[in-house]
Amino acid sequence: MEVPIGAFVYATSTAESPDRNQILCCRLRNLTECVTVVVVKIGPTGLVEVCAYDTPDGVYDCCWSELNDSILISACADGTIKVWNIIAPPQTNPLRSFQEHGKEVSSVQWNVDRQDVFLSASWDGTIKLWNMESPTALATFAQHSYVVYNAVWNPRSGNVFASASGDRTVRVWDSREPVPRLTIEAHAGEVLAVDWCKYNDCLLATGSVDKLIRTWDVRAPQRPITELRGHRYAVRRVLFSPHAENILASCGYDMTVRLWDVSAPEDALVRAWDHHTEFSVGVDFSNHQKGLLASTGWDELLFVWNEDQDPRA
Amino acid sequence: MDGHGPAHGERLARIAGHFKPVEASGHGGVLQTGACSAGDSAGYERRNASLDDVVIVAALRTPMTKAKRGLLKDTTADELLAAVLKAVVQRTGVEPEAVGDIVIGSVLGPSSQRANECRIAAFFAGFPETVPIHTVNRQCSSGLQAVASVAAAIKSGYIDIGIAGGVETMSLNPMKWEGGVNPRIQTMRETASCLMPMGITSENVAQRFGVTREQQDRFAVDSHRKAAAAQRAGKFKDEIVHVATKVKHPKTGDVVDVVVTEDDGIRADSSTAMLSKLRPAFKEGGSTTAGNSSQVTDGASAVLLMTRREALRRRLPVLGVFRSFAAVGVDPAVMGIGPAVAIPAALEKAGLTLEDIDVFELNEAFASQATYVMGKLGLDPMKVNPNGGAIALGHPLGNTGSRCTAALLHEMRRRGRAARFGVVTMCIGSGMGAAAVFERGGEVDDLNVGPVAQQGHLSRDARV
Repeated sequence: MEVPIGAFVYATSTAESPDRNQILCCRLRNLTECVTVVVVKIGPTGLVEVCAYDTPDGVYDCCWSELNDSILISACADGTIKVWNIIAPPQTNPLRSFQEHGKEVSSVQWNVDRQDVFLSASWDGTIKLWNMESPTALATFAQHSYVVYNAVWNPRSGNVFASASGDRTVRVWDSREPVPRLTIEAHAGEVLAVDWCKYNDCLLATGSVDKLIRTWDVRAPQRPITELRGHRYAVRRVLFSPHAENILASCGYDMTVRLWDVSAPEDALVRAWDHHTEFSVGVDFSNHQKGLLASTGWDELLFVWNEDQDPRA
Repeated sequence: MDGHGPAHGERLARIAGHFKPVEASGHGGVLQTGACSAGDSAGYERRNASLDDVVIVAALRTPMTKAKRGLLKDTTADELLAAVLKAVVQRTGVEPEAVGDIVIGSVLGPSSQRANECRIAAFFAGFPETVPIHTVNRQCSSGLQAVASVAAAIKSGYIDIGIAGGVETMSLNPMKWEGGVNPRIQTMRETASCLMPMGITSENVAQRFGVTREQQDRFAVDSHRKAAAAQRAGKFKDEIVHVATKVKHPKTGDVVDVVVTEDDGIRADSSTAMLSKLRPAFKEGGSTTAGNSSQVTDGASAVLLMTRREALRRRLPVLGVFRSFAAVGVDPAVMGIGPAVAIPAALEKAGLTLEDIDVFELNEAFASQATYVMGKLGLDPMKVNPNGGAIALGHPLGNTGSRCTAALLHEMRRRGRAARFGVVTMCIGSGMGAAAVFERGGEVDDLNVGPVAQQGHLSRDARV
């Protein structure tokens, strides 16, 4: 299945809604302008656009609320985090607009474990912790020396998160403390992506400008456990499967989306798809339907497909 | 599409930065090909587990009994071997027809006849005619050579499952030289040395490297002590296959049925006082005696190897992973020093150092050479032959390599995480040494849950 979703799909997370069939992505025209959060539904005949919200500047990431399945948040290039309610009347949206980051907000993620808070990472080098009630951030984590591209919650411990930064490090934090518990000098280039294994709360994967994906055990962070080679340009996003401990998806500037088996480092590449014709910047697994994947790219396309099939089919 | 915002250029520059070439990575930047690059120093036991690894899923042996006196003295090689061949497939549930090849180390048996006897043994053990078998002879390391040959055949893709083993009945095939001796042998030092009795090479080692009679006797006592303790603790039970056979009474000539269950060479009461009374066996004024040399013994052993893929498919627990093997040559006159050269060679191939090794099965051909090897490499005596060696248990030449493999892997299994790597090594008559490195199986790494295809991307607790 494929749908052109308007203009430019920029940094998107195609996070899937708690309402099983809805996919969230964002699009952006000309890198700076128009700028729409789109909700797409998988209908019987294909993907259907449910609603779309324009914002004044780019949207780099988005995710669904874990508290309310009609609420979503978006990370905006103007430094704001905007909250939308897809069942509320248009004039009430955005529900909130949190303005604290000094630069582009690069990622947002809702806490699955605690459910009342979410994280944002920004090009201003900070990570902020928020909840819906407080107009200001609950905490600011400012230890990275450069752009933060990604911040993700540990799936088991509701207070622990990891961040990936252009300062080439990955840091692991306890959200109750202002300084990181652990700093991993993860790559020789900027680290663009990080994710936790959903079944092993000590296992991290990182993706970097150095084209590598590495997995790490936070108990032994001196060296990576495995190193996955294959991407020909920077790795933009890495994501562990919600269905298997050893399966990892990644996408990158080489326009591919790849599936890896991290337990078999010698022969890790399970699948590689080259359906995008521009940078592939977002990938996600369906939490509800095993084997279902979604990806977006700068080619303005959103693909939803089963891992056994060709995305273009 | 007009009015690019002020941030436009900056954003593009940042994305462009993601394409900047990256200098060599701090982690070496190259894929580590060493078999086991994480030694004990790693905080986390990282394993280089591949589906193509050659793994051992069973390693068994017969009891070892004294040649011409023990209960196996009248048991022919085919019967001895059939007992262990049958046991390895039975205990693992591997169907005999799935075995791609059987390689048996055998030293003293007449070459062609022994090859035929091995074929007969396979039939006795219930293997169909389709399963081939052959023998190898690298003297005292034949059993280990068989393991290495099967591992190599699996690695090269000739077979997926193979059995390696060894058999020796020193009762029925005593050591001897047949036919005349080529007079030209005496023209070269090396060739002349090849004819030296093994005991003389032991005397040479003791003399050349200054191993005293006291050291040798103490080593022998330790071997008996450790073997006796292991036997008492029932440690050999897991590796021993009982052999039902017949034995002829030495005096009356009556043939009786027996089930052989235990090694008979171990002397728990051995002491240096006793051993010091023995006369040198090979040389006037020498130091090598019957008490500090390996015993002359009968026995057989078998090791079942397969790819990890095959083991996973069959859900067989992995006893050990075959990591490397090296055979080296040394001066035939001091053949006993072989392991001192072979161990470093095998370790280098495995990407390991001596410190990484937790258990050594060092064949005790003679206390002199074993003592020399330990001194030369600086081996910790606590790590060497924890359950005794050939001085207590015997050294049925062709059997020893696979017997030691069984002893090592079962000891490592008992130790669990306390032992990750082990070495089997021995000296070889006519001047060689061999060593193989094994890694303990028992995957503890949660990542190694199985091949992807099998999992179907399901979480492990999910049911389809």
